[in-house]
Amino acid sequence: MAKIPRSFRLLEELEKGEKGIGDGSCSYGLANGEDHSLSTWNGTILGPPNSYHENRIYSLMIHCDENYPDAPPRIRFISRINLPCVNPETGIVDPRKLACLAHWKRNYTMETVLVELRREMASPSNRKLHQPPEGSTF
Amino acid sequence: MTEVLPKRITKEIERLMNDPAPGIKAVPFEDNLRYFDVVMAGPTQSPFQGGEFKLELFLPGGYPMEPPKVRFLTKIYHPNIDKLGRICLDILKDKWSPALQIRTVLLSIQALLSAPNPDDPLDNNVAQHWKDNEKDAIATAAAWTSQYALPGK
Repeated sequence: MAKIPRSFRLLEELEKGEKGIGDGSCSYGLANGEDHSLSTWNGTILGPPNSYHENRIYSLMIHCDENYPDAPPRIRFISRINLPCVNPETGIVDPRKLACLAHWKRNYTMETVLVELRREMASPSNRKLHQPPEGSTF
Repeated sequence: MTEVLPKRITKEIERLMNDPAPGIKAVPFEDNLRYFDVVMAGPTQSPFQGGEFKLELFLPGGYPMEPPKVRFLTKIYHPNIDKLGRICLDILKDKWSPALQIRTVLLSIQALLSAPNPDDPLDNNVAQHWKDNEKDAIATAAAWTSQYALPGK
């Protein structure tokens, strides 16, 4: 199997993100359009319907270091949120508490992570969790 | 677990090593023979003259039925190369043919440095600069070459 290097994999993800993924409920892009290292990304998740998160827009920072995609990205919520996998003080997503990060595979993408986080928000045990005021940040 | 490279790629690597194209060095990484470290000399009589430009090249699983992926790593001021080093060149997209090779692709990129095409831009601001005041744009490109692409930097 041809093993795509980090940079070309991230450029592919960038192009996909620029075109827009799925129904637009999750999106991401480079934080700085001149960042040759393709390391720091902004993500957004539109809160899923029938949950406390409905109509909220959550901002996240995604960091893909030198070892990506062999190793998972680091994710931090900018918008305050109450979720079991998110540190309530820092907004950092605990990689042990999100399945796709804990059991990372090289073919997973930033989209995989955002979609799973959105699924977490909608899960029966999480969707009614009381949330911090809309628009507050960590 | 390393893959067995298709013969076509092995042949191309052999030739790149034994008979490199003038001003172009392309060496595969040991841990991924489809991934190349490339150094390209800026063509003479261009604002990139004297510069040494680093690029990376990858042969995807579909090569040679699909084109290689190539990107500049050294910053460069050129209307067909964007801020992330992506290159706008027809043979890397819809004009790709399996008759082309790594060598021809890199020679075409070198030729693009000699002949910028501001009518098919990837970076609109740079292209506009080229169209409005070519002399000034060329001076900027030369300044970037000395700032970012001098050998040893």
